[in-house]
Amino acid sequence: MIMRILLAAIAATVSFSAHAQATAVVAGRDLNWVAIGMFLLIVAVTLLITYRSAGRTKSKADFYTAGHEITPLQNGLAIAGDFLSAAAFLGISALIYATGFDGLIYALGFLTGWPIVLFMMSERLRNLGSYTFADAASFRLDRTSVRLVAATGSLVVVLFYLIAQMIGAGKVIQLLFGVNYLFAVVGVGLLMIVYVAVGGMQATTWVQITKALLLLIGGTLMALVVLWRFDFSLGRLFTEASRVHPKGAAVLSPGGLFAEPVSAISLGLALVFGTAGLPHILMRFFTVSDFAGARKSVFYATTCVAYFCLVIPLFGFAAMVVLMPDASFFNVGAGGQFNKITDLIGGPNMAAVHLAGALGGPILLGFISAVAFATILAVVAGLTLAGASAVSHDIYGQVIAKGDAPEAREVMVAKIAAVAIGIVAVGLAITFENQNVAFMAGLALSVAASCNFPVLAMAIFWRGTTTRGAVAGGLVGLFSSLLFVVLSKTVWVAVFHFAAPLFPYDNPALFSMPLAFLVIWLGSLSDRTARATAERRAFDAQFVQSEIGIGLSEGNNALAGVAR
Amino acid sequence: MPLSLSSEQTRKILSNPSFRELTAARARLRWGLSIVTLLMFFGFIGLISAASSALGKSMAGGAVPLGMSIALGMIAMVVALTGYYVRRSNTYFDGLTQLVRRECGR
Repeated sequence: MIMRILLAAIAATVSFSAHAQATAVVAGRDLNWVAIGMFLLIVAVTLLITYRSAGRTKSKADFYTAGHEITPLQNGLAIAGDFLSAAAFLGISALIYATGFDGLIYALGFLTGWPIVLFMMSERLRNLGSYTFADAASFRLDRTSVRLVAATGSLVVVLFYLIAQMIGAGKVIQLLFGVNYLFAVVGVGLLMIVYVAVGGMQATTWVQITKALLLLIGGTLMALVVLWRFDFSLGRLFTEASRVHPKGAAVLSPGGLFAEPVSAISLGLALVFGTAGLPHILMRFFTVSDFAGARKSVFYATTCVAYFCLVIPLFGFAAMVVLMPDASFFNVGAGGQFNKITDLIGGPNMAAVHLAGALGGPILLGFISAVAFATILAVVAGLTLAGASAVSHDIYGQVIAKGDAPEAREVMVAKIAAVAIGIVAVGLAITFENQNVAFMAGLALSVAASCNFPVLAMAIFWRGTTTRGAVAGGLVGLFSSLLFVVLSKTVWVAVFHFAAPLFPYDNPALFSMPLAFLVIWLGSLSDRTARATAERRAFDAQFVQSEIGIGLSEGNNALAGVAR
Repeated sequence: MPLSLSSEQTRKILSNPSFRELTAARARLRWGLSIVTLLMFFGFIGLISAASSALGKSMAGGAVPLGMSIALGMIAMVVALTGYYVRRSNTYFDGLTQLVRRECGR
């Protein structure tokens, strides 16, 4: 009941915000009614989804996993919706706009994580856990300590990723709709809190599916418009792009971003293995009924992400050709001079949005803006849900209450956690508005690759892993990746203003990830306690269950609250 | 430590020939495909730092640069590899899993 009232209040706030927008147009730009109409429609549809999901979200299985009743195709779309953030859609097209070929390599790294998730993670994870990846990591290891490490890793990843997304969201919405930053961040925060706290996984999933479909339609539409503009000739697109770009023909070959092998490999590792350690992605495998469903959903998700890796470069290169020669897209300096990359109105992140306007007029511009907005909402909702689950299922349910918490109370804790995480994220997004936060998304991926991934992989694949090794390795991975980032150029020089970085590379994964594996290995190998012996012996039973699934342990209650 | 299977059940399944066939074949596929995927991506990164200018050249007769063609090929490969794994699982591993479950009396 309280939630329903909250919903009504939100609906009122949002319609007020639309009114506020109408009066707060950025000077010199006309109000785009298509964008605002689409934006209101998306808000209305997602709130309706949430309202309908609210009645069906009672048990913990409902809240965390939509009752394990999502189909593989739905889940595949939702995973793509969870994964393809505004950073992927606007950010990678901007990266390609600015650097050409290098941006494409970045997209490839994002994509390459998916087969790894499929081969190594999805099926075993579904067989060993039921709500969060910590279930699988602590299957045969100590419930309290391993879970705490996994939950801490999850929360750190979720929070950094969330702040990066929120700041990006605030800036994008500010530009798209002309509302001020504070208003945009609070609005996004309120919406995501409502989706998650009221509708749980059911609502979050359908928000993600809606967004994935919008992104597919919008992306395809724009790709067709772009291809039509260049007579369906990629050769023409590339030739014209290299003619207008300041880098010239160099945009067609790999350059600065990946020229130095150590940095390139480190970034590559974070992109590939970070994906396999993102808690909000891993959590999605529990929404399907069995391991075959988990596997199929990754295939659908991979296909979706791959499709975007094909169309996003089109936007980047076409934006060079269409925008760069036209001064009206830029903040032109006093002498009529402008930088073709940094002086783009709204920054390079707006390249795809400007391109939509240039090629398809205000209708396509409005549609793509609304798609970008939906993209933001789906990703932050998924993150908030993953964070809330780490708090309520892992920390409260399993560590504090030792698996004996009444179900209704655990769900209540999850809802409170969702509200709290939302408020913290909004607060931090407001605090860090003008800080350089580009490192935060990278940091989230590095922590995921250096803490979550090694702990999970070693626990499910190596018999020798013991609690001591997993806890030590997880903590070393977590803190070493944090420390290396703080000491690197992006924080040590850019934020703290020291003269030179103490850690020479931007991305720590090449060092922190192997370090975590090494510590897990050494810590486990040297563990001679009786518990370690029992844990190694328990690997056989875990192995059987991970291979042939939970259908086998029908009627067994020993795992109640842990694996079922 | 809560575990679902008794040690006797576990031993029985571990020594089941169908289970051994399933796990051995799946392990080969899993690690084989993972290595192919990782070699492909990190090999490409290696190629970039070794021969970046060559990748910008177009192939004979076409206007699409070589590196771009490789990247597009890799995108197709990723979908093909995941598709192959899923297909193999649907047609072979799932049947074996059912067989193991039946043979082990559940």
